[in-house]
Amino acid sequence: MSSSIYDQFLFFKEALDDYHDQRERIIKASRDITNISKRTIFLLHRRALEAQDAPARVKASKTGLTKLGEVQRMYASMKDELDGDQFWRYQRQVSPGLQEYIEALSFAHFLENGNLVTYEQVQATLCGTDGVAYFPLTISDYLLGVSDLTGELMRLAISGFGSPGGRSRALETCTFVRNCKSDFERFTPYVWELHKKQVVTAQSLSKIEDAVYTAVLRTSEFDLPAEMLDDIVNQTVSSYNSHTRNFERQDDDQLDY
Amino acid sequence: MDPQSLETLNQMLDHESNLRENIREQVNDFDRKMRTVVGILGKIHSTRSESIPSLIETARPVLHSCSETIAELASLIPPNQFWRWKDMWCNSLRTAVFAAALSEFLTKGTLISLESTSDMLGMQEKWQDRVHLAVEDYLHGLITMVNELSRLAVNAVILSDFDQPLKISAFVKELFSGFSVLNLKNDTLRRRFDGLKYDLKKIEEVVYDVSLRKLVSTNPDGS
Repeated sequence: MSSSIYDQFLFFKEALDDYHDQRERIIKASRDITNISKRTIFLLHRRALEAQDAPARVKASKTGLTKLGEVQRMYASMKDELDGDQFWRYQRQVSPGLQEYIEALSFAHFLENGNLVTYEQVQATLCGTDGVAYFPLTISDYLLGVSDLTGELMRLAISGFGSPGGRSRALETCTFVRNCKSDFERFTPYVWELHKKQVVTAQSLSKIEDAVYTAVLRTSEFDLPAEMLDDIVNQTVSSYNSHTRNFERQDDDQLDY
Repeated sequence: MDPQSLETLNQMLDHESNLRENIREQVNDFDRKMRTVVGILGKIHSTRSESIPSLIETARPVLHSCSETIAELASLIPPNQFWRWKDMWCNSLRTAVFAAALSEFLTKGTLISLESTSDMLGMQEKWQDRVHLAVEDYLHGLITMVNELSRLAVNAVILSDFDQPLKISAFVKELFSGFSVLNLKNDTLRRRFDGLKYDLKKIEEVVYDVSLRKLVSTNPDGS
């Protein structure tokens, strides 16, 4: 009897070790995925700020999507570990990276199409060439991932506010974020944590609203189209810049004394 | 979000919450049964060891009736989603393991294996991806049994059943060395394993007390 108890526990030891090892591997991969996704978001911000028109934004989005290809390849390599009933065993470890990836993906998608990436579209990016999903996308990961998009859009709208066309884009973004907030509201009873995200979305929304308010108010004081106002401002800025550059040179000269 | 996507997501979420409710219903049933079993098994502390087997026989039908609940669960859980829902019933399941293991030890003096436990609960191989007995749950059930046995060692002495503590001691020691083989992480299993030493200590003290006072019967089985 003694050896049989011992043998049984040796078997349990192996089972538990395998489980812990696999869990660790998935946590590490998930952390890497989070990193790549965060970097992609920064990259998209930089490129989107430089992009003045729709084609440029599509191009910016493409750069981001290419980078996200790395994440997709990582998921492809994890597919055996998440096969069948295993996905749900490690779902809590997969979730954080996956949500960050969905956030980055939805940002790139928004820059390209101006709308929200759908559940099906996200799942489609996590499928092999044979069309078989690496693992099932949960609705809560999808919703929690895309609801982070609103924060990124707020950042984009505010930091791009001063650039040409920034004000009208901020207005579009404002409408989009508002729709997101009201669409997500009905899911809050089902998805734990979505409630917290909604609070953040509300904050982002009111920041964009305040910015757009200023824009509308100021343009209304002039009887000219917004682009012309931009031009006037640009002229002033550039003439000021060349002016101060001369000044600085003078300052430098004076310093030599 | 376009209305179509909203509707699809809403339907999926509705479906999930219905499923959760149905599972909850079965889990409540499972829990009720387990409370009955635990109630019966609680009487071992006031029963002398020769009458314990017949006491355990009265608990068996309820324990066996768990297989109906488990079959219901297996029909509810969608394929591959065992790990998604298992937390809902793991407490009841661990109690079932505890009851099965305790019954086995008190009637046969042996450790029930994981396979025999899952057979007793009516788990089927083909349900592996929906309902099965996970190693962690089995081990949790065993720890609960040890907790109970340390109480039984004390209470057996109260009933002048002086051999029982020695049987328990030998069994628990063996089980403890089994647990020591495992590499446990910082989780509930680990914390409960850490608590086992107190049970072991308590049982050892009882053994010490009855041995020194020469209360143990002199049959060769006794040490």
